Amino acid sequence: MSGLLFNFLAVFTVGCAAGVVLNRNSVASALCLLLSLVGVAGLFVQLDAFLLAVLLVFVYAGAVVALFLFIVMLLDAQGGERKKFKGATIVASSLAGLLLLLGVCSLQAHAQLPATVGVAALPVGATLRSYAELLFTTYLLPVEVVGFLLLTAMLGVIVLSKKFEGLEDGK
Amino acid sequence: MNPPDYAGLARALLPEAALVLGALLVLGLDLLFFRKHSRESRLRSAVAIGALAVVAAIGLNLRVGDAGSVFGGVLVLDPLAVAARVGVLLLTLLTFGVATGTAPLRHPAEYIAIILFATVGFTLMAAAQQLLLVFLALELASLSLYVLVGFDHARPESAEAALKYFLFGGMSAAFLLFGFSLLYGLTGSIDLPAIGAVLAKHDPQPLLLVALTMVLVAFGFKAAAAPFHLWAPDAYQGAPTPSAALLASGSKLAGLTLFVRLLWPGLGSVAGHINPKYISPGWLPVVVLLAVASLLVGNFAALAQTNIRRLLAYSAIAHAGVMLVGVMIAGSAGFAPLFYYAATYGISTVGAFGVIAVLEGRGGCQRITDLAGLHRRSPLLAGCLLVFVLSLAGIPPLAGFFGKFYIFADALSIGGATGEIGGATGPVGRVAVLAILLSAVAFYYYLAVLKQALVAPPAEGAAPVRVPLAAALTLVVAAVLLVLLGLFPTVLINGF
Repeated sequence: MSGLLFNFLAVFTVGCAAGVVLNRNSVASALCLLLSLVGVAGLFVQLDAFLLAVLLVFVYAGAVVALFLFIVMLLDAQGGERKKFKGATIVASSLAGLLLLLGVCSLQAHAQLPATVGVAALPVGATLRSYAELLFTTYLLPVEVVGFLLLTAMLGVIVLSKKFEGLEDGK
Repeated sequence: MNPPDYAGLARALLPEAALVLGALLVLGLDLLFFRKHSRESRLRSAVAIGALAVVAAIGLNLRVGDAGSVFGGVLVLDPLAVAARVGVLLLTLLTFGVATGTAPLRHPAEYIAIILFATVGFTLMAAAQQLLLVFLALELASLSLYVLVGFDHARPESAEAALKYFLFGGMSAAFLLFGFSLLYGLTGSIDLPAIGAVLAKHDPQPLLLVALTMVLVAFGFKAAAAPFHLWAPDAYQGAPTPSAALLASGSKLAGLTLFVRLLWPGLGSVAGHINPKYISPGWLPVVVLLAVASLLVGNFAALAQTNIRRLLAYSAIAHAGVMLVGVMIAGSAGFAPLFYYAATYGISTVGAFGVIAVLEGRGGCQRITDLAGLHRRSPLLAGCLLVFVLSLAGIPPLAGFFGKFYIFADALSIGGATGEIGGATGPVGRVAVLAILLSAVAFYYYLAVLKQALVAPPAEGAAPVRVPLAAALTLVVAAVLLVLLGLFPTVLINGF
């Protein structure tokens, strides 16, 4: 049963992700992204990581994709005509795809994946408390670094995109 | 579980704290006091505060010293980390000097602040020992660099360069993250020592090879090694000159430190053997291919360049090939030769970009022929350029020669006939011989630059170049450093 559910969710997630890339309409792409994220959240639920699943749906599916949709609709970007691929590109990409397929097939046929590794897994259905404790102890530094990452990103967006005419020294 | 050592973490991060504080001060003071001033004075005050922060960071870093593993192994402050932190901070300082030589961009304070944030990323990269922090430090540095490359609103090439760099960088970050998640899945840990211990106990699995490939793709991108080099010429050409200098120097040193720590202490047990007598899969064979491709592509493509920045980009690719040889021998020869090479390469390339920056501010410097008659227009610039280019080419007694010398000598002597890298007759020895042969090719394009600067007559009506004081000081310091490190290479080499 769980195997079936996993396979369904995996195919669903990857299918929707392909939809993001292949859709000509940006709004449809954003909606595909939403569905793909819901699929990933389902996979998290299967791993008993309920909190992570909820956060993913709230933050990414809820907030981020909604923001994408707003921006896409505000800019009214309907995609438009796409350039056709050149012959060389098609040949090269199909070669690379074939190689990748060959690699995946040989991995499937020959590789023995380790059944279990010594992972000190979180307690089943890890609570908000255990996540919070990890964030403030083991992963304190990465959390701090993310803060500065976001500050840099914000600074970059303001500097690169905002128009400052009239606000500056005018030189 | 022991309570986490917050005090130790805070102590180890003092240099980063100084840099962040400096960046916030630069932004805050500019907003409060300097908004109505001219761009030149805003740039000067921002550079002054930023330089103070960097100097403070160097001092704090030396005071903290090699404190060993910090906060449960998130960071490790070994001699390599301390040296690499000093190296990237010094290169940032030189980059500030380069920035004072250019015509200031539209938001000088923000520009300096983002350089400081990038430097925080570099110093964290130099010490990171946990995959999560490795990735985040890399992203902090990369994100800052994307912004720095696209900073120049006046030139459309800058935006194009930033877009290309960003798309390549985002793709390689995805590869790195995928590789890391596979490593975590295989070993159950994100701490490099624990990963190394688990991998040493088991035979390499096919899935591990997939993970290694993914990690090496990201490494190739960061080091601008062929065939992942395509972003480099466009980024170097389009970026504002100080950004290009930082991209070629500090970013490269930090990236190499990070990946050599990842590959040898972390994944060293799955390096594989490339000794022809018993080849086994691992990451070493792939690095050999990357090194050969970089050496060939870099050196031969540089011959055809007419744009000085693109020439420096292809020369960077060729140098990346030599650095990859340094990565391969780091397992047996230690990190010292690689660090020496990367640091001195960084100094000479920052210097070369510094000369370009000064010329750029006074009439443009894109083509190699724009350098014509530099010895008449500014003997100081011509003299410094001579030192930088000769060091890049590897002429004794400059530091560039000893960098190459240490790496090649170790590549040819270490490992013997039975070692994993196979000594002089093994693949690494062959790559070293190839690199030595290609150095002759490199002479041609470096000398073509020098011929324009030192022999060719100046163009009609080319005025003498006045070099701003801070920029002149930076160039002279960089040139003197190259000479001194060339005369006393043991200062760095024996520091490990």
